Amino acid sequence: MNPQSQPSTPSYTINCRMTHEAAALERLCQVVRIRGFRIATMAVETADEHLNIALTLEGTRPIAMLQSQLEKLHTVAEVVLGSGSVARSRSA
Amino acid sequence: MNGAQHILEAFHRHDISTVFGYPGGCIMPLYDALVDDVGVEHVLCRHEQGCALAADGYARASGRLGVCIATSGPGATNLITGVANAHRDSIPMLVITGQVPSGLIGTDAFQETDVLGMTLGIVKHSYLVDDADALPAIMHEAIELAQSGRPGPVWIDIPKDLLLTDVTEAPFAQSTQQATSNPDLTEALAMLRAARKPLLYSGGGISLAHAEDSFRTFAESSAMPAVVTLKGIGNPGKHNPYNLGMLGMHGSRAANKAVDECDLLLVIGARLDDRATGKLDGFAPNAKMIHIDADAAEINKLRPADLAIRGDLNDILTALTTALQDRPLAIGDWQKQCRTWYTTAGFHAADNEEALAPITGPAFIRQLSRVAPDDTVIACDVGQHQMWVAQHYEFDHPRHHLTSGGLGTMGFGLPAAIGAQFADRNSTVINVTGDGSFMMNAQELATIRRYNLPVKLVVMDNQCLGMVRQQQELFYNNRESQINLDDNPDFVAMARAFDIPALHIERTDQIRRGIETILAYNGPMLLHVAISREENVWPIVKPGASNTDMIDETARTAKASKEQVA
Ligand SMILES: Cc1ncc(C[n+]2csc(CCOP(=O)(O)OP(=O)(O)O)c2C)c(N)n1
Ligand SMILES: [Mg+2]
Repeated sequence: MNPQSQPSTPSYTINCRMTHEAAALERLCQVVRIRGFRIATMAVETADEHLNIALTLEGTRPIAMLQSQLEKLHTVAEVVLGSGSVARSRSA
Repeated sequence: MNGAQHILEAFHRHDISTVFGYPGGCIMPLYDALVDDVGVEHVLCRHEQGCALAADGYARASGRLGVCIATSGPGATNLITGVANAHRDSIPMLVITGQVPSGLIGTDAFQETDVLGMTLGIVKHSYLVDDADALPAIMHEAIELAQSGRPGPVWIDIPKDLLLTDVTEAPFAQSTQQATSNPDLTEALAMLRAARKPLLYSGGGISLAHAEDSFRTFAESSAMPAVVTLKGIGNPGKHNPYNLGMLGMHGSRAANKAVDECDLLLVIGARLDDRATGKLDGFAPNAKMIHIDADAAEINKLRPADLAIRGDLNDILTALTTALQDRPLAIGDWQKQCRTWYTTAGFHAADNEEALAPITGPAFIRQLSRVAPDDTVIACDVGQHQMWVAQHYEFDHPRHHLTSGGLGTMGFGLPAAIGAQFADRNSTVINVTGDGSFMMNAQELATIRRYNLPVKLVVMDNQCLGMVRQQQELFYNNRESQINLDDNPDFVAMARAFDIPALHIERTDQIRRGIETILAYNGPMLLHVAISREENVWPIVKPGASNTDMIDETARTAKASKEQVA
């Protein structure tokens, strides 16, 4: 609800490769939201049949839980957690 | 062959013989194709929610795919509760809806709704078909997907024009069967052998994996004390001497005590739902946990597992049984302790000896359990009556107990009973419902009549929304709010209006005759059971509290409602 993150909200980068179908991004965003994360940045590229989506996410829940939920999406081929996932302040 | 005909062809190919649906504009080409088709029985329910819940009940009782069909717009939105119900309980379901013609999508056409968008959160996967030639591959994939791994509903939304377009069937990649897993159980066995108080904790995943037999063999041969979740009821079988019954909010004191004291929790096919665990901090505080599940996302979701094994439950349970064969677990003291708890703190509602006394819920359900044939299917609704069934009916198989666990959908029971009766026309199917829940899908009485299904209906009428009233009494200072139903319709007359005979009982001495009468009747029949408005389900754990803080009737009468009675 609050547009301002708490200063200590951890931030993560993830890369997701999924089938390029009509509802692809909606599916992705829906899972991210319901599992407790907010999208700070999002970049989408099309590569053949696939979409490559790079996301920066913020949230206080364990990111591994989001990763395993995203991997359950039938159209998701791969979810890679970025190495730069560290707690950082909003202003950084 | 057009799209509609292809859908029926795919049903044949996948051995789908019964579907539940309701026609309308955009799905009419499929209904037109049904006129010619003789291999598929289409069951017309009287509300799309009834279709979805009947398909759900069919799937639960049979272990097969449930299929429901509706038109666009209101047809699709009416399905949603039933599909959400299947999603929350991982029931294999195929949903097919008509959509407005391709060219009209996005124009706010008559009966257009964004079905794909509004159902994202309640499906395992979904499709909006945009090319008739893609339909064969989609049908195949959807049917496989709904039933594989952790099952769930898969929704296909198909525009009307594509139902009418010729389909050229190109060969498509068929998914291959998953290889059987060969899990490494060394560590699990070491933990089991090291434990002095191991406890088996099983849920709905057992029957979803069709692992009922291998579970039972494992439970019996390991002789581990066992607790079950609401959906795991029946897993250990009613003759297993170490079955402590359901744990959790309305679980037995014995089951919750065993969880509190155990030193190893072997969780199989369960997801540690809050209704089962209570406050997680206080849950199984002394135990290591082994978590075995088909779904990787359930592992470590709520409570970290000391050991996680993901895979096919059948393979894992069979391997565990074999590994324990030569040397049984040495847990004699623990078994004895759990037996004692079961005797002193299990569910043993006494029969009311006073013939003229009013009927109590638990006493009625115990009688029903004794009198009904062994393989009776009970389809519950949601509320106090549902908990009395879970506590006091002795189930010998999980598929005999159909209950809306994850979503808790009032109105589930009657359509689910219809589905179960279609799954096996010869089985005894009883819908145990409440006066509130019954009214949520009462229109399906017409479906029972139309197909002459011998479904038995037991309406436990406490003239209120009992479960809500109970929580208002206990947790909201007895401030009753909007729970009164004392102006209920005359349920006996109502059943008769649907040409279903009905009987009213209200005294203890009428219970047995009442149950015997409806069971003996060759056709559908309703038993209206008047029970006290004030009765509560005991014990109860306040939502959010720890399972060790169970409240009993004694606590209530002593006005010390929040204190735990030792
Ligand atoms: C569709 C739906 N609406 C509301 C609820 C909340 N709710 C849970 S139990 C209950 C009361 C059920 O009343 P009844 O069917 O008469 O059963 P009783 O508890 O009286 O046995 C209500 C309203 C629900 N579970 N489902
Ligand atoms: Mg009621």
